[in-house]
Amino acid sequence: MADLLDRVVVPVASEDDAEASARALARQSYGEAVFVHVVEKAGGAPDKAGVEQRELEAEEMFEAARAVLGDVETDIYYGTDVVETIFDAAEDVDASAVVVTPRGGNRLVQLATGDVALRMVTENDRPVVVLPADQDGEGGT
Amino acid sequence: MTDEELAKDLGPLAALTIGVGTMIGAGIFVLPGDAIIKAGSMASVAFVLGGVIAMFTALSASELGTAMPRSGGAYYYVNHALGPLFGSVAGWANWLGLAFASAFYMVGFGRYIARIFGLSGTVGFGPVSISAVKLVALAGAALFVFINYVGAKETGRLQNAIVILLVAILAVFTLLGTLRAAPENLPEARSVVTTLETTGLIFVSYLGFVQITSVAEEIQDPGKNLPRAVIGSVVLVTVIYALVLVIMSAAVPQGFIAGLYENLAPGETAPIAVVEVGQYLQGAAMGGALLFGGLLATASSANASILASSRINFAMGRDRIVTPALNEIHPRFGTPYRAIGITGGLILLFIVIGDLTLLSGAASGLHLIIYGLLNGALIVMRYVNPEEYAPDFIVPLFPLLPIVGGVLSFALLAFVASDALLLSFGIAGAAILWYVLYARTRTEKQGILSEHILSRSDELPDAAVSAAAGVQPDGGQYRVMVPLANPEHEKDLITLASALAKQRGGTVVATHIVTVPDQTALASAAERADEIDETSEHLLNRAREDAETFGVDVETHTIISHKSFEAIFDAARTHTANLVVMGWGPDAHGSPGRAESAMDELTEAVPCDFLVLRDRGFDPSHILLPTAGGPDSDLSASVAQMLQAEYDSDVTVLNVTDDDPEDAEAFLRTWTADHGLDDAQIRVEQGDVESAIATAAEDATLLLVGATEEGLLRRLVSGSLVMDLVDDVDCSVLLAEKHRERGLLERLF
Repeated sequence: MADLLDRVVVPVASEDDAEASARALARQSYGEAVFVHVVEKAGGAPDKAGVEQRELEAEEMFEAARAVLGDVETDIYYGTDVVETIFDAAEDVDASAVVVTPRGGNRLVQLATGDVALRMVTENDRPVVVLPADQDGEGGT
Repeated sequence: MTDEELAKDLGPLAALTIGVGTMIGAGIFVLPGDAIIKAGSMASVAFVLGGVIAMFTALSASELGTAMPRSGGAYYYVNHALGPLFGSVAGWANWLGLAFASAFYMVGFGRYIARIFGLSGTVGFGPVSISAVKLVALAGAALFVFINYVGAKETGRLQNAIVILLVAILAVFTLLGTLRAAPENLPEARSVVTTLETTGLIFVSYLGFVQITSVAEEIQDPGKNLPRAVIGSVVLVTVIYALVLVIMSAAVPQGFIAGLYENLAPGETAPIAVVEVGQYLQGAAMGGALLFGGLLATASSANASILASSRINFAMGRDRIVTPALNEIHPRFGTPYRAIGITGGLILLFIVIGDLTLLSGAASGLHLIIYGLLNGALIVMRYVNPEEYAPDFIVPLFPLLPIVGGVLSFALLAFVASDALLLSFGIAGAAILWYVLYARTRTEKQGILSEHILSRSDELPDAAVSAAAGVQPDGGQYRVMVPLANPEHEKDLITLASALAKQRGGTVVATHIVTVPDQTALASAAERADEIDETSEHLLNRAREDAETFGVDVETHTIISHKSFEAIFDAARTHTANLVVMGWGPDAHGSPGRAESAMDELTEAVPCDFLVLRDRGFDPSHILLPTAGGPDSDLSASVAQMLQAEYDSDVTVLNVTDDDPEDAEAFLRTWTADHGLDDAQIRVEQGDVESAIATAAEDATLLLVGATEEGLLRRLVSGSLVMDLVDDVDCSVLLAEKHRERGLLERLF
């Protein structure tokens, strides 16, 4: 296992997600972790929310991860396609795997938002490790 | 591509269409009929006049936008330049103005749907009845709010296509229309006053350009593209409005437009002038194209306004003018769903309560207030000219153009319908109250203007200074900064700071200031960041742990600087500290070898209250507080009071006098009572001040002394009386120097 989790990229989408992912990761033995948030861009049209706003949000997510794991590497990426950008980030940092935690949500919401976790395991070009979220239901949203 | 390029992906066309798309819906597709009825052949002039007034502000907005391409646009500039009082007015006016405008666009949208499907009359729900148009407007508004709530990124992309299509439809309409135009068709011209009133009525057609600045942070190469989009959109829509209005007046027989409005059955939906004219001139195809265009135009106007308003909410929340809780981003949708939900609720409410003229009038009135303030913001930025102010686009003929722009914007307010005007001023007044009652204790940002006035308080008239001081924000939160250098004293300093912060429900800001020799460039020091990080991290982590044992909030920062004292002053300012607690001694910030250079760096006034600890072990059990009154011993008293509350310390207050000891005792009794130290022991000594204090300090564990007016730090490094005393006693010494302008006591009592 140690090899696969040698240097992992952990994409996070919200504070809760970051905390759940960090907790899930803390239960494993791993090498280094890079927490990444992708600011989704509309690609030439106004975004759903301001870039500055989402950069601030990202810092809060990273704080939540640090609160669990101590100091971890973090980075903000920008891209029109979240899943592609996550794998770009994984390439950038030469990650051994991308780690995700299930985010819950019903089918309808997953359909509306294009479930990222599902696409992550169907369109991956490097190992994707799905870690179980907390048993007591703290994880997910 | 770099992150910067990826984050800023709005091209020049997209930026332009935000402006044009927001404006054109109202100008062409809703208002021309009313404008022609009111102003006759002067309707076109009324639109051009609106465009000219908007242009002055567009120039100012462009300069401010290129200097500060930040989220929030107009609100941000006003708040930054004029401070949070005006910022509150601009923010609320912009937010509610956009909600009124969106409601207006949606009622227009409702008229188009009603025209297409032949809906009319009212629908009753028991005692409540609502017109079909409004019902459609409500449904439309709910739909667009929902789209923004869920956040479909496709809607943004549609904007370009919609705007290009609209411009194409209007170009064909205008070109074909000119073939039929004849001067004798022109209706009678009305008076100048009526024309101005018409401008007031249609000014809602010129709100969009300022929304471009609210997404300025996303525009590619904003220095070039932002002014082009802002100014270009105003020029483009003004030309289109003027031409369309000329055609609508000159290409149809006199009385055609007025005739549309006659003989309307009660409750019947008013006709849409541009569609009727198009149909009359160019047949059903053009009528249909204009109908379709009107739907798209009003929808895109509303959509862009809802989007822009969420950026303003964000910027207001960031500055704590409103609660930052509004800015929560939806974990799945990635949208600022709370802000959009509230804006949506307001839009629905405004649709229900307002008629078309009230909605457009309130939107215009509120935006005219913002436009006036924007021009004011530009004048302040140019006049104060802060170092970081470097706009790529410069308004020509300064200060003439922004002054004219500001005056015209406020003057046009006089021609906005009176009920809408009352509403606009009511909202502005409520925003001022909001600042005074809510935001003032929360926001921390100070405007460039009041900073400027307060920093020159000696030269400027007292009235201006006290006005500026009277409205400046007080941040609400009490922040105690601790510059750390020597790990040995970290615990004592953090303990002291935490105890004080805890008493005020505040935050401890631990900063590790790393000094590097002048020869080392800061950039290369930053490259050694790994080593520095390790030391810093260790020190700051310990600080965090120590502070957390008190249950206070902690922030930590590492600062790399050439000069340690200067860095402390700078850090106190940038981290908006209310109190700095620092160590002093041979091994702390001001080592004897650095005394000369440190002295040069010192300015007279400290940027906030300062406590300097000569640490010989922190033990607050027996505090000795010598005083002869004065502001710095006010600070000492306040510190003593807080330590007493935290540690149940014994406090002894000492006065050394050559006069009657009974007078001194009476003075101390009053003084202790005034400073909340009623249970302090009172001690009066005679003789030499220094030796009397030194003797009294033998029983104490902590000596708390106020600095003299000359500046504590100056004395500290120059080796004058206070320092001798510090070396003469065996206990820890805490020196207090009060900030002149906004001290601890004034802030708290």
